[in-house]
Amino acid sequence: MVALARKTLVYEWRRFLPAMLAVGFAGLLQLLQLALVLGIFGSTSVYITGSSADVWIGYPGTQNVGSGRTIDPDVESRILMDPAVQRVEPYIWVDGDWRGPHETGGISVFVSGIDPGPGGLMFSKALLPSLRARLAEPDAVIVDRSVLDQLGVDIGETATINGHQVTVVGISSGLRALGGVNVLTSLSTARQLDGDPSDTGPTYLVAKLRDPKQADAVAARLRGDTAFGPYTTWSARDFARISVRYWMFDTGAGAGVLFLAGIVFLVGAVITSQTLIAAVNGSMREYATLNALGVGVAALRRVVLEQAFWVGALGLLGAGVLGIVLMLLAHSQDVPVVLNLPAALACVALVMGLATVSGLAAMRSLRRADPATLLR
Amino acid sequence: MTHPAAASQAATPPALQAIGISKAFLSGKLHTQVLENFSLRIEAGELTLISGPSGCGKSTLLAILSGLQKVDSGRVLALGSELGQLDLSALEHFRLQHTGFVFQGFNLFPALSAFEQVELPLNHMGLSRDEARARARRSLEEVGMAPRMKLRPSELSGGEKQRVAIARALAKEPELLFADEPTSALDSVNGQMIIDILHRIAHMHGTTVLCVSHDPRVVVHADRVLAMEDGRILSDRRTHVPTNDSKGT
Ligand SMILES: Nc1ncnc2c1ncn2[C@@H]1O[C@H](COP(=O)(O)OP(=O)(O)OP(=O)(O)O)[C@@H](O)[C@H]1O
Ligand SMILES: [Mg+2]
Repeated sequence: MVALARKTLVYEWRRFLPAMLAVGFAGLLQLLQLALVLGIFGSTSVYITGSSADVWIGYPGTQNVGSGRTIDPDVESRILMDPAVQRVEPYIWVDGDWRGPHETGGISVFVSGIDPGPGGLMFSKALLPSLRARLAEPDAVIVDRSVLDQLGVDIGETATINGHQVTVVGISSGLRALGGVNVLTSLSTARQLDGDPSDTGPTYLVAKLRDPKQADAVAARLRGDTAFGPYTTWSARDFARISVRYWMFDTGAGAGVLFLAGIVFLVGAVITSQTLIAAVNGSMREYATLNALGVGVAALRRVVLEQAFWVGALGLLGAGVLGIVLMLLAHSQDVPVVLNLPAALACVALVMGLATVSGLAAMRSLRRADPATLLR
Repeated sequence: MTHPAAASQAATPPALQAIGISKAFLSGKLHTQVLENFSLRIEAGELTLISGPSGCGKSTLLAILSGLQKVDSGRVLALGSELGQLDLSALEHFRLQHTGFVFQGFNLFPALSAFEQVELPLNHMGLSRDEARARARRSLEEVGMAPRMKLRPSELSGGEKQRVAIARALAKEPELLFADEPTSALDSVNGQMIIDILHRIAHMHGTTVLCVSHDPRVVVHADRVLAMEDGRILSDRRTHVPTNDSKGT
């Protein structure tokens, strides 16, 4: 078989270049947008993904980590009774008002009170053990590198949270928050920072299982017992998903992503189909000649569709390479970008869908390849 | 219509036959009746030339006889099939199996070598790869393009391009070969070469060649010359006695 589609694409690449660029940039735009959104909203579940707990226990109906309510401290003993549970520790969330040593005004901070001990679960993946251990000192806090300027402090300096004096003993990285600033401290310091005397218990209990694979089953098993007041359980994965989904959809960011995806698709499809149509028109007399010789319109359509496929594939390749370079650049600049497999597949689907739609549009213009027009 | 060979034609069926065909074009308010109650027989294995003034309907006739255009009324028989009764894909299949075309423009794909131009339609005929390649090579040899078969159209002269286009039609080994002004874009030397090739195809392969041209050199080589005007045949004459069979004049 003479590879007409590919040979034409290679020989007349200049004619197909605009289509490839359109497809590639549409893909790249979509990729970076998704990565950015996932990165930003992924940071809303860093409390869960940065920790090694398998099951989370919190107030029923909690939609994201930041909006938890305290639960009865006695729930802890109930959880520990389950043979699958290896360790349980409290996690205290306190909303605070930060006053730095320099003139920064009041800054709203999210204080995470965690167990800084060597076996502690919270932020075990986000902090080095030596850094965590420094939280054992009274009134010690850790803040993220990305917010040092915002908070107006550096390591060793003091500030106040809710009027209580704290000292910065360490600096973390990758613990950005949305709508505020994360501050890590020990459980006992966090209790002192909490101005509300009615808060007696922890905001959450986090549990490590002997077999992490059983998280869903254990979470389901521990749920529904009301002897200790209201509480519910999630596997860590579910809770992270709920949290990200809350930010994506309840803030309208998800709709924004979809809207932009639609625009990108539309603009990309218009440009790509126009350039493909122009390329097909350029070979119209040749196609008509083939049809005169008896080569069916169906076979000619396959040629056009194959060209669209290659345009999509090459555009995707370019977008992929450029996307990786830009993602690395973003990482080096502390810009939160995250790409997971479903998101990457969504981009691939968008680009190939775009190429297919354009190919179909170009195929329609083949109808003008009427061999009778060659006889004049 | 009187014909010198009318007596013997009843025995051998014609390759092409138009029976009382009419064709009109309507563009906007302008109604152009190109052919009206027009009948014609084209004999097998001959080089038949149609000449006539511009706009008299030569190309339209060619398009109708080759199954590229539908008639308004009347019947067209090609190799015994009635073209009016074939649907679009059946017509495509008929053309694939039985017809070759040579146009005034060469219509070669810029990306393909001369060899690939010829091989491409053969791929769709259900031939094996080797058979397709052997045929492509043979027909390029026949038009004298074998030494240049690796070149692309941009590296070929006009005459060479037309020879490739002829080889493309020829490689299908069609019973019917249609050519519309095949020499008008070429200089006299190249034009002569194309005419010689068409003549040879008719006489060596027994192909029915129907050629539209006002090139006077073609007249000399044609077995039969039809002069057309205003959608009618004005004169119909044979330039020389066919030598390959026993048909009398
Ligand atoms: N698709 C069409 N739509 C409208 N009119 C047409 C169409 N095709 C042909 N015609 C008209 O039919 C008439 C015959 O056209 P045709 O192409 O058969 O002429 P021709 O004999 O081949 O002329 P030439 O020698 O200039 O090529 C012309 O008057 C032309 O305007
Ligand atoms: Mg014409």
